[in-house]
Amino acid sequence: MTTRHPLERLPVSWFRSLLYSLIVTLSFDQVDSSIVFAQDDSDWFESKVRPILVAHCYECHSGTKSKGGLLLDSKQGWIKGGESGTVIVPGDTDKSLLVQAVQYQGLEMPPKGKLDDRDIQTLIEWVRRGAPDPRISASKIGGMDSKTAQNWWAFQPLPTPIESFSSLWIDQQIDAKLDSAGIHPSEPADRRSLIRRLSYDLTGLPPTRDELNQALTEPLSEFQIEKFIESKLESSDYGVHWGRHWLDVVRYADTAGENTDRPVVNAWRYRNWVFDAFGRDMPYDSMIKHQIAGDLIADQEGIIATGYLAIARRFGHDIDKDMYLTYEEMIDTVGKSFLGLTLGCARCHDHKYDPISAEDYYSLYGILASSKYSFPGCEPKGQPKDMVPLLAQPQIDELMKPWQAKADLAKAAKEKQNAQIDQARKSLAQLEPAKRILIAESKVAEGAKVPFDSQLLERTIPVRVGELIQLTILPNGNHGADSTMIELNIHQVGGAEDVWSSGQLIEDFASSNYRKLGPKTTQNDPARNTEALQKSRIEANWFYLETTKNADLLTDKRLSNGGNSNIHSWSLGELPSVFANVSDSPVSVWTVLPPKSLFVHPGPERNVSLVWVSPIEGSIRLSGFVQDAHPAALDGVSFKLEHIIEPESGNGLVQIAEILSTPIEEPGPSPVIPVAYAVVEGTASDAKVHLRGDPEKLGDAVPRRWISVLGGQSLENPNASGRKELADWISKSPLMARVMVNRVWQWHFGQGLVNTPSDFGSRGEPPTHPELLDQLAAQFVESGYSVKQLHRWILSTKTYQRSSQSTEQQREIDPENRWLSHFSRRRLTAEEIRDSILSSSGNLDRSYGQEHPFPPTQTWTFTQHDPFNAVYPSNRRSAMLMVQRQRRHPFLTLFDGADPNASTPVRQTTLVPTQALYYLNDPFFHEQAMAISRQIQTLVHDTEKIDAIYLQTLQRKPNTNEAQAILELVKSYQASPEDAWAAVARMLMASNEFHFVD
Amino acid sequence: MKPLPILTQHRRPFIRSLVGGSMLFPGILKQLMAEDSTKEPHFPAKAKRVIFLFMTGGVSHVDTFDPKPALTKDHGKEIKADHPEIKDRPGYEKIYLKKPQWEFSKHGQCGTEVSTLFPHVATCVDDIALIRSMHTAHSNHYNATLGMHTGSFAQSRPSIGSWLTYGLGSENRNLPGFVVIAPRQTYAGTQVYASDFLPGAYQGTLVVPGSEPISNIAPRVPTEKQRLELDLLAKLNTQHLSDRSDDGNLVTRLRTFETAFGMQMAVPQVFDLSKETDATLESYGLKRGQTTGFAWQCLAARRLIEQGVRFVELIDTGSSGNWDAHGDMMSHEPLAKNVDQPIAALLKDLKQRGLLEDTLVVWTTEFGRTPFNNTADAKGREHHPWAFSSWLAGAGVKPGIVYGATDEHGLRVADNGVDVHDFHATILHLMGFDHERLTFRHSGRDYRLTDVHGKVVRGLLNA
Repeated sequence: MTTRHPLERLPVSWFRSLLYSLIVTLSFDQVDSSIVFAQDDSDWFESKVRPILVAHCYECHSGTKSKGGLLLDSKQGWIKGGESGTVIVPGDTDKSLLVQAVQYQGLEMPPKGKLDDRDIQTLIEWVRRGAPDPRISASKIGGMDSKTAQNWWAFQPLPTPIESFSSLWIDQQIDAKLDSAGIHPSEPADRRSLIRRLSYDLTGLPPTRDELNQALTEPLSEFQIEKFIESKLESSDYGVHWGRHWLDVVRYADTAGENTDRPVVNAWRYRNWVFDAFGRDMPYDSMIKHQIAGDLIADQEGIIATGYLAIARRFGHDIDKDMYLTYEEMIDTVGKSFLGLTLGCARCHDHKYDPISAEDYYSLYGILASSKYSFPGCEPKGQPKDMVPLLAQPQIDELMKPWQAKADLAKAAKEKQNAQIDQARKSLAQLEPAKRILIAESKVAEGAKVPFDSQLLERTIPVRVGELIQLTILPNGNHGADSTMIELNIHQVGGAEDVWSSGQLIEDFASSNYRKLGPKTTQNDPARNTEALQKSRIEANWFYLETTKNADLLTDKRLSNGGNSNIHSWSLGELPSVFANVSDSPVSVWTVLPPKSLFVHPGPERNVSLVWVSPIEGSIRLSGFVQDAHPAALDGVSFKLEHIIEPESGNGLVQIAEILSTPIEEPGPSPVIPVAYAVVEGTASDAKVHLRGDPEKLGDAVPRRWISVLGGQSLENPNASGRKELADWISKSPLMARVMVNRVWQWHFGQGLVNTPSDFGSRGEPPTHPELLDQLAAQFVESGYSVKQLHRWILSTKTYQRSSQSTEQQREIDPENRWLSHFSRRRLTAEEIRDSILSSSGNLDRSYGQEHPFPPTQTWTFTQHDPFNAVYPSNRRSAMLMVQRQRRHPFLTLFDGADPNASTPVRQTTLVPTQALYYLNDPFFHEQAMAISRQIQTLVHDTEKIDAIYLQTLQRKPNTNEAQAILELVKSYQASPEDAWAAVARMLMASNEFHFVD
Repeated sequence: MKPLPILTQHRRPFIRSLVGGSMLFPGILKQLMAEDSTKEPHFPAKAKRVIFLFMTGGVSHVDTFDPKPALTKDHGKEIKADHPEIKDRPGYEKIYLKKPQWEFSKHGQCGTEVSTLFPHVATCVDDIALIRSMHTAHSNHYNATLGMHTGSFAQSRPSIGSWLTYGLGSENRNLPGFVVIAPRQTYAGTQVYASDFLPGAYQGTLVVPGSEPISNIAPRVPTEKQRLELDLLAKLNTQHLSDRSDDGNLVTRLRTFETAFGMQMAVPQVFDLSKETDATLESYGLKRGQTTGFAWQCLAARRLIEQGVRFVELIDTGSSGNWDAHGDMMSHEPLAKNVDQPIAALLKDLKQRGLLEDTLVVWTTEFGRTPFNNTADAKGREHHPWAFSSWLAGAGVKPGIVYGATDEHGLRVADNGVDVHDFHATILHLMGFDHERLTFRHSGRDYRLTDVHGKVVRGLLNA
C-alpha cells in the first residue's frame, strides 16, 4: 500500500482531462478547428514530442521567456509564430522553419548543440503528422494565464532605488493612503510604551529598569531612540529573537517526525547558526545561499546552514520509502519561505491557480533528490548515520592520527598477546587423557557439604614441580548457577610439611586473578614461624579458571556483587565466577555468606576450576570440602578433583598469566569529530514526474532547472545536484527580496504589507502599499541585503512609533488597521511570555544552549509503540527549548508556538481558559513567582516591596490605586509573607499589562 | 441539561462589578456579558454531540462483529493475497486461513450476530448500525490511526473533533468543546486530537483518568485565596482596560481567568461520580471511588456531554499493550472485557435519559486483523487494512441494521465498502454538515476533513 498525499487527489484533474478529452470539443479563433486528433496522437505527442520540447526548447520559448518572440509551450504559441515568421506548417515539413532549424539549416536550434538524430526525426515526424498538439490550455503556465503571469506584480523587476529614501519617505507613503482613506492617524506613543515596544520587538525581552529610567527621565529625542535601537540590535538577544522568527518559517524541530519521532541530536547547530547569522546581520542573499547550498560555498558554517533542508520532516515507518513526502516538504518550504510561492501544490498536477507546472515541481524535485541528507534513523533501519563532519579531512587526520597510532599499537599488542595465549592454551588443551588422574569426584546434593576426607583422601600423592591439582565444580544439568563454597588444602608430606590453602586467597582477593602464595603458617606451632623458615618456604601458584573446554583465566574483576561491596569476584563476563566474602562478618545477599569464605559459581554448562601448581618435588595429601551454599530445591552441583601429571601444564598456566599481566596501553576514547545534520551532494539525476503525485506511477524525467515563470534556466553543471544554481536563482529573484522585506515588516507591525506573507501568488492578497513594498525591497537589495538596516528604516518611522490607542473613526473605516493609523497592540508570543517570566524572577539564562540531554544514541530502541517523548526543563531562553514534532512542547503548544511540522508565517493568538489555568496552578510559574517574593523579603516596608515587585515584573512603579489593591490582598491573604507576595507576583505576571505590547 | 450552579454563582458578581460604573465601550460590554454562542450547522440535524470510542491497536473483525463460518470450515487452507503486511516478509511466503476463536450468535430483535467477546454490547444491537465493510488506506498503526482521526495518513491535519467544534461552537464555556479521555497516548501522539491549522480553541483537551485529569486543573492555593488573587487581577486588568477599552482581546483574556476559575470546580464536578446511584455505577461495572478504567471514561463521557461538551473521544489503551494481537489473539479477551460492559451501559444510560436521541455514538478502531497467518496454528493475527468493522448508534442512525459485507473469509470488502473518508462524511452529515462545505482556508487553499474524498453513506441514516 502506498501513502498518498491528499493533494494528489484534488478534484481538479483538469490538466489531464484537457489533454485527453476537451481537445475534440473546443475550438479557437486562430486554430483550425477542423483538425481533430485521435487520442493516439495526443498520447504520442505527450510521450515523444513534449519531452523534447520541454528539455530543449522551453528554456527560451516558454512562460515569460519568448526569445525571438516565439513560444513553444502551447499550440497558440507556434501557430502565432515568432519574429522569423511561421514556425510550423502542419503536414508540410519543407515549409516548417522548425524542421530546418533543428537540422541546423539556416537557423540553428537549439543553439547549445544539435539535437540527436532520433529527436530530430521525432520532431519531423510530428510536423509530418500535422503537428498534433493537445496543449490547448497552453497560454497558461501552470494555473495562470501566461500573460497574467508575465505581468504578475510579484514577479516584476524591482524599481530603481530612489536616493531620497528614508524613514520619512516611508511615512509619506503611509500617510498618503491614510489621507485618501480619510483616516486620522494616532498620536505618537508615550515614551514608556515605545521603549517597551522596541525592546520586545528587537529582543523578545522587556526593557531593563535602567533603560526605562533613562528614557523616562531624559527627553526622548530622535537621537536617543536611535541609540536605543542600536543598542538592542547589538545585543545577542536580538539574534535569538529574530532567529526564532526565521525558525518559525523554516519549521525548525529537534526531532525527525517519522513514526518514532527520533531526536535529531545535531539540529541545534543549525538553530544556533540562525541566531548567529541574524546577530551579525549576515546579508540575506548569503543566508539563502548558505541554507540551500552552504556545503558547496563555505566550509563549516556552510555545512551547518544546510540544516535548513536537512531538518525537513521524515515520514512513515521506513523513511526511505516516503522520501517523496520529505522532498515535497522541502519544496514546499523553499517555495514558501524564500519565494512566497506554494510550489508544493504542483506535486500531483500543475498548480491550480499559480504559474507553476508539475514539471517545475519535478525539476526542483530532481535537484533535491540529487543530494544526500543526514539520516535520522527509523524503526526498521536503526540508528542515525551520514552526519556531515565539520572538519576537513586533514584536520580530522591531524586529530585522529595520534590516537590512531596509539590504537594501532594497542591492537598489535593485543593481537600478539592473544597469539601467545593461544599457543599456551593449545599446549594445555592437548593434554593426553592419561596424564589426568582422577582423585575424587562426587555429586553435591542441594544444600549438602561434601568433605574430601570422606573420599579416601588419606592417600599420599607424589608430585613434581609444575604438576597441577585441579578442583573443578560442574553444574548439574543446565541449572548449576549455584553458589558453591569450597576449601582446598594441600599438605606437604615430609619436607617442610608446609600447607597451602585456598583460604589464603581470600586475603587480598581482588589483587589478581592468579596468585603466588607461600604456605600457610601454622599458628599453634610458633617454632615453624621463624623468619628464616618463612623465607625458605616455597611459594605456589593458584589460578581461577573456566574449564569447560580450554583453561581460560577469569579476567573480569568486580569489587561489588549483589549490591554488597564486601563480595569481590573474578569472572569471564557475567559467568562463571569465583568470589569471596572478604569481610569479617557474614554477608546476607542471595544467600548468607560466612565471614572470609571462598566460593565458586559455575555457569549453566560451564565449569569453573581452582588450580594449584606444585612448586615442589615430593608428596602431598589433600583436604577440604565442597558445599552447595545456596539451597534452592534444585539439583545441587558436582565436583572433580584431579591430578595433572604434566609439568608443562603448570608452566603453561604461568606463561599465560605472565602474558596477561603485561599491561597494554589503551588508546583511550577516540577524539570527537564534530558533525552536523546536514546535506552533501548525492547522485545527480533528473527526477521523473509522479503521475497524479503517485510515486509508483512514473512519467517522463524532467530536466533539473529553475521554475519556468522565473526564468527556467538550466543547470550549468548537470553532474552536480544543482543546489548551487538553485541558491543563485532564488537569491537573485526579485520575489525573494519582496518576501523578506514583507516578513520583516510583518514581524514589526503584526501584519505584512502583503497579508499572506508566504503566498505572493494569485491566492494571496495584493500589497496594501505596492510602491512602498517595492521600494523597500529595492533599498534592501541596495543595502547589501542588510536586515538590520531594514529595522532602522522601519523603526524610525512615525508610523511605527504611533500610539496603540485607536479612535472610533479609525476602527470604523479600517477595523483591521491595514492602513496603519495606529500601532496594533499584540499579545506576547509563547517564547516572550516564558522569557519574561524568567526574566522577572531573575532566573533567565541568556546563554546559547547546545545539545539537548537526549539519551545516548546507542541506547535508542524507539518504536511506533514506544516513540521518543521528552520535555527537558531549562531556564534558557525559550527559543532553546527542545522542540518535538509528534508530541508538542506543552507550554509552547498552550501559547500558540510555531508548528514544527510546517512553515509558520504568522503566529496565531488564542486566548483560552486552559492558558489561564497555567497562571493559576502551574508549578514552574509558581516557582518563579516565589523566587521574586523571596528576593523582596529583605525589604522592610510594604510600599518598598510593592515598588520592587512592580519594577521587577512590569518595569514601572505602581500608582496609588494599584498599590492599594495589592496592600489589600497582602493584608487579607492570611498566609506567610512569602506566600502572600508570591501571589502578588503571580497576578502581576498574569496581568494583561504583562502580556500585551502597546 | 442544566449548567452546574457553581459557575454562574462565581461569574456574575465579577462581571457586574466590571460593568458597574465602567467606561467600557458598548461592544466590549456586550462581549463581557455574552454567553458563548453556538454556531448553526449547514442543515438541521438530530445529533448535537458525539461520543467517539476508539479501540487502539486494531480489533479483529472476524473475532468480534463479522461472523465467518467459512473461515472456520476452511481453517488451514492456503490462500494467496497481495497483502501489504506480508509483502517481502520472510516467513510469510505462504499464508493459511485461521479460524475465529470465539463463537457468534444472533442477538436482539434484529438478529445481528456478535461474538462472545462482546456479550454486553450484543444486548444493544437493536440500537446499533453495524458496518462490516470498513476499509482504510494504510497498514501501519501510526498512519491508520492518524487517518481515522484526521482523514490524513501522513501529514498532520485537524482532528475530526476539532472540525466539529469549529463548525458547531461551544455550548458551555466552562468546559472545552472537545475532550479526549485517554489513559495513555496512542499512535501519532497528540496529533490525533490536535487542531493543527484550525484555531487553538478547537484542539482536544486531554483528560487523563486519575488524580489530575486536566493539566493544572487542581488549585494550588485554597479557593478563597484564589478568589482574592483573581479579584486583584480583575482590578489590575480593569484599570489596564480603562484606556484601552477598544480592545476585545483584552476582555477575552480577562474572561478566560473567570472561566478557568470555574473550570477548576466544573471539571472535578463533572468527574465526581459520587452522586451517581449505585445502580448506575454497577451497570457500568464501576466501583464507588474508582477514577480510572474504561468504565470511568464512559460514565465521565456521559457527564461531559450532559454539560454541553460537543465531542468526547475515549481511547481505551495506548500505543502498546493494546489490541495489536500479533502474538496471541487471546489478548483480545481482557481488552474486550475492559470495554464491553461500560460501552453497553453507556448506550443504555444515554437511551434511558433520552440523550441517545441527540447524541451520536461511534465505535471504531484503526484497522482489522488478518483472517490468515503464516501458519494455520499461529496464535495471533496481523494488521489488516482491507476490512474491519465499526458501528454507529444514536441520533439520526438507522438502528438494528448491518451495513456492507466482507467476502466469505473476511479478507476483502465484498459489498458496500465504507472507507475512512466516507465514515467521516457520514458523521459530519449526522451532525448537520456537508463535508464538502465545512472548510478552512489555510496556506492558499480550502482544506476539509475529507480532503477530496468521502461520500455520505445514506444506508446508515434513519430516514
